[in-house]
Amino acid sequence: MTKDAPMVEEITDFEVLEIALRELAIEKGLFTAEDHRRYTEFAEGMGPTPASRFVAKAWTDPAFKKRALEDPIAASLEVGIDWLNPTGFGTPSDFTALHVLEDRPTLHHVVTCTLCSCYPRPILGNSPEWYRTPNYRRRIVRTPRQVLAEFGLFLSPEVEIRVEDSNSKHRFLVLPVRPAGTEGWSEEQLAAIVTRDCMIGVALPKPGVTTNVARTVHPAAEPLEGHSAGK
Amino acid sequence: MNTIKKAVERPGPTMADTDIMCEFLSEMRPALHNLRDWAYPDQINHALYSAYMKQSHDVGGEPDAPGIFEEKEEEQWELNSFVDCEVLGWRGIWTSEERRRIGNVDIGRTMYYGLPYYGRWLWSIVRILMEKQYITLGELVERVHSVQERAAGRTTQSPLEAQPKSTGNEKTVVRNRHHKEAIGKGDPQCFKGMAGKARFSVGDKVRVRKLPTIIYSRTQEYLRGAPGTITRVTYESPAPEDEAFNREDEKPEWFYIVRFKMADLWKSYAGPPQDTLQSEIVERWLEPLSA
Repeated sequence: MTKDAPMVEEITDFEVLEIALRELAIEKGLFTAEDHRRYTEFAEGMGPTPASRFVAKAWTDPAFKKRALEDPIAASLEVGIDWLNPTGFGTPSDFTALHVLEDRPTLHHVVTCTLCSCYPRPILGNSPEWYRTPNYRRRIVRTPRQVLAEFGLFLSPEVEIRVEDSNSKHRFLVLPVRPAGTEGWSEEQLAAIVTRDCMIGVALPKPGVTTNVARTVHPAAEPLEGHSAGK
Repeated sequence: MNTIKKAVERPGPTMADTDIMCEFLSEMRPALHNLRDWAYPDQINHALYSAYMKQSHDVGGEPDAPGIFEEKEEEQWELNSFVDCEVLGWRGIWTSEERRRIGNVDIGRTMYYGLPYYGRWLWSIVRILMEKQYITLGELVERVHSVQERAAGRTTQSPLEAQPKSTGNEKTVVRNRHHKEAIGKGDPQCFKGMAGKARFSVGDKVRVRKLPTIIYSRTQEYLRGAPGTITRVTYESPAPEDEAFNREDEKPEWFYIVRFKMADLWKSYAGPPQDTLQSEIVERWLEPLSA
């Protein structure tokens, strides 16, 4: 490279193009401004909290765990997620098929989408930037142990790694093994240690650890209000 | 280069602008590593043809050095673009598979790697509205130009607002069947019972077919030819090859989660022999594994 890429402080071409397209779509009757507002509200409400509760509930309630594995879409209702929202047929990009991947002491799942960034948004929120990168997608399916080690997760050779390449309409959520040292904990206490990264499969839940591993954050020029990366 | 403010104050290319443009463009030239960048028919063998046909989204297993895994704050326009795309799906203008085909494959390698993630989502709206004749290119060009003028002098501290001049008649707009037929059922549940009998059952040994790569597929190249085992018969749905082109007339097919041994996918796999990988494959891409 002969020069650094420009740092953008003005209104960007993307912002201009987005505004132009949205105006034309509304003028042509493709959707309404109210549709856009409603979906924005729905999207801003998405996050990993329901999925953390889903896992904690599966750890504490064997009957729920059975329902969670057999019909996770129905079981999601018990943590307040109706996968048919907000359109009546689900979110267009996430579909309404969820598969829960149950870890065992000798089996560890990790999720990727090598083709794009398929991710269970309605229950887990929007995907992290690294999950969308060609780098993660290229490498996790070929050298998963090395990539997991880069996330700080070192698995013993006795553990089977099962990479789930989420390429079609199913979305996947990892149900980790409940860690030792959490005996007698409430569902709420347990949910706090089930981080987003644990449910993608790049981390394991640990007592005392309630956040994803700290990573560098690329800042936005015009960030969403009340949003910060990693939430 | 891409400061809209300057472009509006000083219309038309200047020498300086042109120089900068050329510098960026030269960096984006495809690296063919050929002295002569025009090909003769007798120079394209099957391996080279296949390399050109490989779909930009299909990156699984490509060699790469360790990267830095970062988080990112979301820009306001990124959320707006995401919502635009989803609302277009909600209202039956496209399915998300059409969006993926346009934004992840049709876009070409330079823009696939060069644009931000949501920049590609946004670009796919341009293409779909043009391809399906909802807008004309003249309308789009004029509108972008006028929004640029509205944007002149603004900064990210005083963002633009969408100001549609009218509200269109929703009733006359051509839409897909899917956005109505899936209501109350979900997708893929709305295709239940349409694919006939499933060809494979749990436990069946299969092989991923080595079909040619033409335009679009969601069957990853790194799986093609690999032996695996059906672990789940999942649902009925149109194949991605049909859904990506809005072929609502085509018959849905069964999908299967197939489990592969890592050692069967990668000759160089150095991990323990029990490591596995699963993916969800549409029936047309599977064949029984002969004993």
